[in-house]
Amino acid sequence: MDSEDPKVLIYFKATGDAPILKDSKIKASGSNRFVKVIDHLCRQLRRETLFVYINSAFSPNPDELVIDLYKNFGVGGKLVVNYASSMAWG
Amino acid sequence: MTNPSNHGRIDTKSSWDGTLSWDEFCIAARAFMEQWNRFNADLPPFSWVPRPNPPWIPPSSQSEGYLSVDNVLIFGRTEETCKKGDDKEEEEEEEFSCCDNDNVVDPAMLAQTDEVSSHHYDFNIIYNVSYRVPVLYFRAYLSDGQVLGLDDIIKSIPSSTKRLLMESKWTFITQEDHPYLNRPWFTLHPCGTSEWLKMLFNSDPARAQGGLSVAQYLVAWFSVVGQLFDLKIPFEMMGYVDESGRQHKNTITDSS
Repeated sequence: MDSEDPKVLIYFKATGDAPILKDSKIKASGSNRFVKVIDHLCRQLRRETLFVYINSAFSPNPDELVIDLYKNFGVGGKLVVNYASSMAWG
Repeated sequence: MTNPSNHGRIDTKSSWDGTLSWDEFCIAARAFMEQWNRFNADLPPFSWVPRPNPPWIPPSSQSEGYLSVDNVLIFGRTEETCKKGDDKEEEEEEEFSCCDNDNVVDPAMLAQTDEVSSHHYDFNIIYNVSYRVPVLYFRAYLSDGQVLGLDDIIKSIPSSTKRLLMESKWTFITQEDHPYLNRPWFTLHPCGTSEWLKMLFNSDPARAQGGLSVAQYLVAWFSVVGQLFDLKIPFEMMGYVDESGRQHKNTITDSS
């Protein structure tokens, strides 16, 4: 593993009536900002916006580094990212 | 501020509707304020602003009040300003072009950034008795005291968050009378707040079973609304230690 830029396993979990992804697990570069994870999700689901949060506890700032989120909130070797369709309840 | 009159936890089982009682808000506000002030030393501290009880309210009643933080300096950024020089471009589907030239210093661009940079914000977190949720009130001004209008505020919102603002009702900005100061402040409309908080907390079965620390409620809420202003919550607050001393961080059990 490249210690300079570790990969983080991200597991996407749909909430409410949000569609379920075909590929619910991805590997992302730890040096990415979280906004890229959000953008990836939006593209996959063809949504302009999504409500994205972690560990049923908070919604990360898009500017956070993926590796920082993983180190602080990763569980069982992966970062679980919940997502919901923001339009359904907006 | 009131003393904690209950055990400081919200029962999130079954019929919890995502709202908070006044007592719970008071506990949550105090915990949030303590945590914020401890872990966010580079930003101005929150304080509790009490409203003196009018004479017809007996002294035993809980005094009303709200959380306030003044003069938070927020550096507005232009849409394409990208200060992150450490991003690697490895995911083929990503468009990372804005990070390509991180070493190029363009004086004209810096000047433009300076022009929009110094926005001062006052934030108040106020309990709304109708919706039974916290509501963010705010106002913004320049260094010379000139008050910013809604257009200027929206221009300084991070572009990723602006999309949410344009499309979602839960980040709807309106101008209303500040309930304590009786002056017009901007506010995020609370109509969707309880719904997304309920969804956020109830999506974890372990959480729904064990209930929720009221302090976590306000942290979760602020983690969402703070994004409008690019305000980050320190990670230490996410792993809030509850009254029993139990560290919540990384205690969610892996269900897979």
